[in-house]
Amino acid sequence: MMTAGRYNYYEILELPSSAAQHEVTTAYERARSTYCGENPAIYTIFSEQEARDLLNMIEEAYAVLGNKTLRTIYDQRLFANNNMPQDLSYDSILTASKSQLPEPKAEEIKPAYEIDEEFEKQIATTKEWSGEMLKKVREYKKISLETMSVRTKINQYYLNALEQSDPSGLPAAVFVRGYAVQVAKLLGLNDRAVADSYMTLYKSKAGK
Amino acid sequence: MERIVEARKTGPQSKRGRIWAVSSGKGGVGKSFISTSLAISLTKLGHTVTIVDLDPSGANVHTTLGQKPADLNLRHWFDGEKSLQDLVTGTDLPRLSFIQGLWDNWCPIEFNREKARELGADLRQLRADIVILDLGPGASETQLEIFSAADERILVTTPEPTSIEKTYRFIESQICCKLRDSARPEAFATLLKTLQAHRARKQKKFFSFRQYLKSNEGFEIDHFEKLNETPLRLIVNMARSQANSDLGHSMKSVCNKFYDLNVDYVGSIDYDNAVWQSVKSGEPVLVAQPFTPLAGQFLAACKHLIAPEEIRAVG
Repeated sequence: MMTAGRYNYYEILELPSSAAQHEVTTAYERARSTYCGENPAIYTIFSEQEARDLLNMIEEAYAVLGNKTLRTIYDQRLFANNNMPQDLSYDSILTASKSQLPEPKAEEIKPAYEIDEEFEKQIATTKEWSGEMLKKVREYKKISLETMSVRTKINQYYLNALEQSDPSGLPAAVFVRGYAVQVAKLLGLNDRAVADSYMTLYKSKAGK
Repeated sequence: MERIVEARKTGPQSKRGRIWAVSSGKGGVGKSFISTSLAISLTKLGHTVTIVDLDPSGANVHTTLGQKPADLNLRHWFDGEKSLQDLVTGTDLPRLSFIQGLWDNWCPIEFNREKARELGADLRQLRADIVILDLGPGASETQLEIFSAADERILVTTPEPTSIEKTYRFIESQICCKLRDSARPEAFATLLKTLQAHRARKQKKFFSFRQYLKSNEGFEIDHFEKLNETPLRLIVNMARSQANSDLGHSMKSVCNKFYDLNVDYVGSIDYDNAVWQSVKSGEPVLVAQPFTPLAGQFLAACKHLIAPEEIRAVG
């Protein structure tokens, strides 16, 4: 995927491989604010498109290094002593991690909203999950974008683009699916069904 | 005998960080203020410091120090009348002295790269723990020569896009200036063409200096290793918010990604009205108000530069 082959994730986040977990997060937050497109520090150096590409690399790097399990697998492969070329791609590391650990269960959120029977019914019967529908559910459940961003640890900018189904504001499809899963879990929906449906719509919209 | 005394005086300092050059891409970002404030903070830490005013557009270190212009100035060195040490003028502050810059600008001086090298050698002979060079803005050949030869290279920027932009231009000049000396002429010409094409956004890919040097012939491969032996130090002056202060981290990252250049962010200095007020009243702000957050920021910067291992645990 992308240029990740040329730089390893530590180089992308500009970290020593011995960095502690909190340093990874700090580095990621700094990198994200640097390449989010509005930072004057990239002025005359990187174009908007280049900054976005860099941001994608940074998101990918953090998706692995920010997660202890994935980071351990990545480290094992990166620092493997034998000369066998190791598969360092995001997908393969994700797959490897799934075989190690079952997915953690999402925490329950207490309903802080008034239950609207009709809308609940509509949610239960919805088969096609568009960004618009996700937004409706989020607003119905009175969760602000900000709260959602904090709880899912997904950039607000991406959450917004996710609800707009705007591919130009989102990273590669594999991440978008991950975001959809996170969002669906937070909204108390069937995450797999929602993500599948969302991605079908998303891809048809993106023309792939 | 004199040499022994001198060696004892400069002592272990002579090994690292004796000459600090302060420069910037853009004028008016506060170089002289940063130079003098760093100097004052260093004297508080017990070091003897000499500031050398090397701004060719006119001297003003004496003004930021609140001193009268000295009788002797750099012109006497250029004319061969005095040695550099003879030009050192004391100040009211303990352990702090300065060399007056040029301020009779109506008679031009002959200043070329060779003369700059000669000056650099003489600067090393000055009897002080640390010599701070207050350079002019921009990347002229002579300025770059002096800047690159220093032990600590400090770049000052403000959070304004104009200053950031010129800081990057300065860094580019510095990289290319050194490259031109070591690269084969035709290889260097091709690099310049590639850079131009890149700036005009004709290419889709990122440009990386290091990748380019590695994959093209005619360059010294370890160019960046040499450049990166001591990182370029960055100070963000006139910060008015946390976002302004974080800019230094962002610029460091951009330099790393684009130039493969190792930049060390020393820290930010807050915007403070006391600064321009003190220049008017003729007393350095760190002397008039020694216990402000501003003074603390300068002390932290000095400690960062002198003994980074002591404060690393906190950072």
